[in-house]
Amino acid sequence: MTSVEGILFAAALFCCALATAGYLLSLLVRRVALAKISTWILAAGFMLLTLNLLVAAVHWTGWSSFGSRHFLSIYAWVIAGIYLGLQLKTKTRLLGAFIAPFILLFLIAAAGQGSDRNLVPSQWQGGLTTLHLVLAIAGEALFVLASAAGAMLLIQNNLLKNKKPGPLGRLLPSLGDLDQINHFGLLWGFPLLTLGMIGGAVYAAFVWGGSWPADPKVVWSFAVWVFYGFLLHQRLAIGWKGSRMAVLSCLGLSFFLLSALGIRFCLATVHNFI
Amino acid sequence: MIGLVGLNHKTAPLAVRERLFAGCREQENLLGGLKAIDGVLEILHLSTCNRVELVASLEDAPRALDELESFLARYGGLTDEEAKTCLYTYRDREAIRHLFRVTSSLDSLVMGEAQILGQVKDAYRQALAQNATGVVLNRLLHRAFRAAKRVRTETGIAANPVSVSFAAVELAKKIFGTLAGRKILIIGAGEMAELTCTHLVGNGAEDITVVNRSPAQARLLAEKFHGAARGLGELDEVLCDVDIVISSTGAPTYVVTGEMVRRCLRKRKNRLLFLVDIAVPRDIDPAADDVENVYLYNIDHLQNIVDENIKNRRREALKAEAIIEEEAANYVSWLKELEAVPTIVSLRSKAENIVRAEMEKASVWMQSLENADREKVEALVHGIVNKVLHAPVAVMKEESAEFASQDIVAAARQLFRLDD
Repeated sequence: MTSVEGILFAAALFCCALATAGYLLSLLVRRVALAKISTWILAAGFMLLTLNLLVAAVHWTGWSSFGSRHFLSIYAWVIAGIYLGLQLKTKTRLLGAFIAPFILLFLIAAAGQGSDRNLVPSQWQGGLTTLHLVLAIAGEALFVLASAAGAMLLIQNNLLKNKKPGPLGRLLPSLGDLDQINHFGLLWGFPLLTLGMIGGAVYAAFVWGGSWPADPKVVWSFAVWVFYGFLLHQRLAIGWKGSRMAVLSCLGLSFFLLSALGIRFCLATVHNFI
Repeated sequence: MIGLVGLNHKTAPLAVRERLFAGCREQENLLGGLKAIDGVLEILHLSTCNRVELVASLEDAPRALDELESFLARYGGLTDEEAKTCLYTYRDREAIRHLFRVTSSLDSLVMGEAQILGQVKDAYRQALAQNATGVVLNRLLHRAFRAAKRVRTETGIAANPVSVSFAAVELAKKIFGTLAGRKILIIGAGEMAELTCTHLVGNGAEDITVVNRSPAQARLLAEKFHGAARGLGELDEVLCDVDIVISSTGAPTYVVTGEMVRRCLRKRKNRLLFLVDIAVPRDIDPAADDVENVYLYNIDHLQNIVDENIKNRRREALKAEAIIEEEAANYVSWLKELEAVPTIVSLRSKAENIVRAEMEKASVWMQSLENADREKVEALVHGIVNKVLHAPVAVMKEESAEFASQDIVAAARQLFRLDD
């Protein structure tokens, strides 16, 4: 890692931490203005992270230089990018209070990782692996977004159902906007994850032959994929909306995160990125 | 000095306000007449349905204020008794604070309403057009607008709705986000339902359907909003299609049952439904609220929100009062300076001119002095002049703090011949 890369990463991490604090404070003191400022700070962090990744790409010397740090940074970058992109369309600044901590978590995890680890063994490196990684990350990032919107929707729904919208209810985005973001996350996250998984499966079929499903991460990812597929089906075909979808998205994401961490630390897997 | 005479909804009954409002409106060149009053330098006339007030910069305060009072009493046809109980008079700091409070809507019937600021601006525009204001009132009004803006942005006084119909609109926004293109169903033909619907349409809702037991009445209301009228029998079908329902019939039983809502939600694929029940007895079965994605608010729920918001406004008003105090103090200090400072400045410069002229005259014989001695003489002269001026300057400053420097200032200008 070059020193420029290090400085850019540290600056991005700082911006993100500041934005997270700002968002949480805006919830606490109930001022949207603070969330607006935090969105700008997060945008600055996103730009710095983009530069950081660009510098890393310029210094790319092959897959051996791709480490967990990059993997997690890309994760954070995609989530931040999608969230900021949404901010151009909807007025849901407060959603940042639920998204920014995720981004910060990924960046902190990235900071704790060495960048020089050879994450992807040389025999698997190639275009299909890149495609598999990028699509899977983008798909999962969209699920994070869907769940964050879902969590916020549950709070707002609870306030409105109890007839006590109060200052917090006025601060949080509307149910309609949050449900739309949940819908957007599922609608785009699922096909991206599907394509990513197909990419991985096709590649694995070539390299590993028939033994690939034995990897616990693959099995669990498949289960998560089926769950999200079910959610999307219920949403599009049956018309599940609002709080029910929000609860299920949050459940889906917590299963996914728990399994990812559990598998990483307890079981042997080839997907040992985080 | 600044004076304010007037009456408002707190001091005068509607009948008196009406009379005065009409009396002032009928008067041609009202501001001209007011400005012609002896002692009135600048004048502003504010007239709304809740208040009639005259704000003036005055020269001979007590007499001019009495004149303004009798002017209002005359045009409002007020009896002596009415004039005594209805009219109020404020001077200087009190008058400034009162005008700032009025402009910031702290003195309004509905605290925090936005209309009054526009009305004061209109009154000011009229006064400007007729050349009725000058330096003092111009700055006073600009400061009042500034205070109002600060109160609006720095406190939450106007943040939350304090009427049932606006509270319903706010809730609709919290449920749907934007109201553009939302479909509304009105059941019954109550006034409150109509008002709420008007606000919803004002916020972008478009498609209005009216259902009523009497088709003629349904048509009448539907025409108002360019909507459609449907019979009560079609309620089930209409419910599946709309987003917001406002119900206010006189029916003794539920018009919309929980089962109806449950059924329609399935048909509408769980799209959000906002039900507003402002009828007593209630029109919509409370069981409807148990259905997912349905939000039912009755008149009590809405009233509770309004009550809570009114309490909030009162809390915010305390912050607003502090802003008013600060802005009023700023203006007062400017005004005080305006009264005494030019005189103090010209007094000092006159003294300096005299010293300079005398020193020049003396320069011939002073040349024979040593440098050090010459400086001592100059210091002595400046010292004497400063000592002599100290007392009048100090008195002018002291008096201006009490808004009473006008006479002293005038005397100083005359004694020292500052206007020659």
